[in-house]
Amino acid sequence: MEATKKYLTFSIYVAVVFIVLTSGFRAEAADKENCLMCHKYRFIGRIDKNGKRINYNVDGHMYTKSVHRNVSCRDCHTNIKKLPHDPVTEEVNCANQCHVKPPFAEENFSHKKIIDSYNESVHGVKSEDSPELQKAKPYCKFCHLNPIYTRVDEKRIAYEETLARCQNCHQKNGVTQAYKHMTHRLRHKTSRSPQEIVSLCSKCHQDVDLMKTLKVSDVSMTAVETYNHSIHGKAVALGSQEAADCISCHASNTLHDIYKKDHATATVNKDNLKTTCKQCHKNTNDRFIEIAVHSRIDRNEKPALFFASFGLKLALFATVFGLLGLLSLETYARKKNGLKWQIRRGTTWRGESKR
Amino acid sequence: MTTSSEAIAIKSKDTSIAEDDYFTYVDGLGNIPRDIYRHVESDPLGDLPRYSIHIVIQHFLVFTTFIVLAATGMTLHFSDLFWAPYVISLFGGADMARLIHRIAAAVMVFAAVYHLFTIIGGSLLKLLKGEFDYKRTQIPRIKDVHDLIHDIKYFLGFKDYRPKMDKFMYKQKLHYLAILWGNAVLIFAGSSLLFPEITARIYSEAVKFLPEILVKVFSETIANLWPLPAFFQDFARLMHVDEAIMALIVVAFWHLTNVHLVPGRFPLQWTFLTGRITREHQIEEHFLEYINNLDEIPEEKAYMRKLLEEKGFGLRVKVSVEDLPRVY
Repeated sequence: MEATKKYLTFSIYVAVVFIVLTSGFRAEAADKENCLMCHKYRFIGRIDKNGKRINYNVDGHMYTKSVHRNVSCRDCHTNIKKLPHDPVTEEVNCANQCHVKPPFAEENFSHKKIIDSYNESVHGVKSEDSPELQKAKPYCKFCHLNPIYTRVDEKRIAYEETLARCQNCHQKNGVTQAYKHMTHRLRHKTSRSPQEIVSLCSKCHQDVDLMKTLKVSDVSMTAVETYNHSIHGKAVALGSQEAADCISCHASNTLHDIYKKDHATATVNKDNLKTTCKQCHKNTNDRFIEIAVHSRIDRNEKPALFFASFGLKLALFATVFGLLGLLSLETYARKKNGLKWQIRRGTTWRGESKR
Repeated sequence: MTTSSEAIAIKSKDTSIAEDDYFTYVDGLGNIPRDIYRHVESDPLGDLPRYSIHIVIQHFLVFTTFIVLAATGMTLHFSDLFWAPYVISLFGGADMARLIHRIAAAVMVFAAVYHLFTIIGGSLLKLLKGEFDYKRTQIPRIKDVHDLIHDIKYFLGFKDYRPKMDKFMYKQKLHYLAILWGNAVLIFAGSSLLFPEITARIYSEAVKFLPEILVKVFSETIANLWPLPAFFQDFARLMHVDEAIMALIVVAFWHLTNVHLVPGRFPLQWTFLTGRITREHQIEEHFLEYINNLDEIPEEKAYMRKLLEEKGFGLRVKVSVEDLPRVY
């Protein structure tokens, strides 16, 4: 009884200490201007003219764990000049300079370079585009939602041993996050898993109605489907970290420079294919790059393969049903001849033949 | 020195040419009725030798790797089905499953090469000794077609007895040829999936070795219809999957049922482990091989003589040279 009481009090102490330790007191790290004073309320929001409800809550805990934790609110939301501020109408511009200086850099940090390369790519909005196309084209925030900005947990590398050395001089907190952020991008092309990349691109490119309004070619129309049927797609769907996803082939290390394949700088252009394939297939040659990656067996495009596939399927069914028919016929006749379906003890021919 | 037993022998041999002959005469035993398998005693572990230890090892290698190959390969192929993620996690993820698939494939290729070595080597050895009999091998013959037709007639009730078949009956020959073909296809298609860079070059180089007329005629068609390596790669993808699914279905539904589940073999035929076949099975489906066994194994001959005497099928008249005056 006494022991149980002791145990109970002890566990209550432990629970209290645990709760106190884990509940954060450091939510307002980047919030120098105290924006969270209002935005911390969970239901702070507005109902616009169309009756749509918009929530302006910012979760401080989540924000302090995101990549942008050191960027203060007004570095991005630049049009806010006074408090309480006017309704925000302008979108955030990721090309802004924020007041964070990367090590050894003269200028403040900005995403401008990547945005320039993105604007040149096929996804950038061009003046000659039709209105539907302009509307359909994604911008930064379409793909880069904040949840994805959260820190990456790299499980495949033994970073703890390496980190232990860094922590001899550096502060544990900062260097851990920086190291995880860096090594992940050094090892992989993107911070997202291949599965996330595929599902992200599929979001638009699988949308047949949208693609129809944009009048894309047949190849682009079926691109997601053909990818999912290729060995790259199948391996990625099952969680492969090595097989190629969309970005692996369609973009260089800039990640945002996706072009149509007739564009000279496209990674999937005929002249650049060798370099692109070489990232994984070390022995790439002129003939290898002719192999179709987004392969589709179509009656009009590949008649020989189409009929071969049809013939093989027919042969499969004929074989299987032929053999199973023979098997059942044989079993029927042998049973009729007096064979018993039982565990053998010397012989199984115990019945009388009815033939 | 002529004996009357020889005379009887010649007589019965003449009549045994007829296909449906109920009795088969064997020297020193007399007439063996076709349905003697209904009366023999059999040890489920097997009474008569059928496969050498090499074949047993090869079969073991092939069947273990086949399960692994099918499990990894089918999961990778049907990646969009609900069970695929669970099975793939058994193998430690997609990348590990691909590695395991390749290792298992290498073992299976080894088994195939081992098999070819033993088969060709063993046949050569027998040829040198003068013991080679093509009827006791897997080489297909016209007789197999006749056997199949005869057997189907028997199954439907138009014939009284099953055909007298050799060591390998039509089913086994069919399956063996299918394995030869399927293995070749799977190895070629699989290696072109594993080494696409090399095969793309080989295929395009191979065209140069074709006769010039063929190239002239077909190069335009080929260029119009499909670029060469792309076609071969697509074809390899198609063939590898199709051949694998066919093999899996045939093995799972036909082969397994035939060897383990049908009456007479249920619940397990031990041949694949012991390399021996039961007497009743041998007589029923491989009667001609059983006749060979009687020649080769004295114990078997003694057993059969005793059985025939018990059942009253033995030599009707026991004749010896000394008895001759008394009989005639």
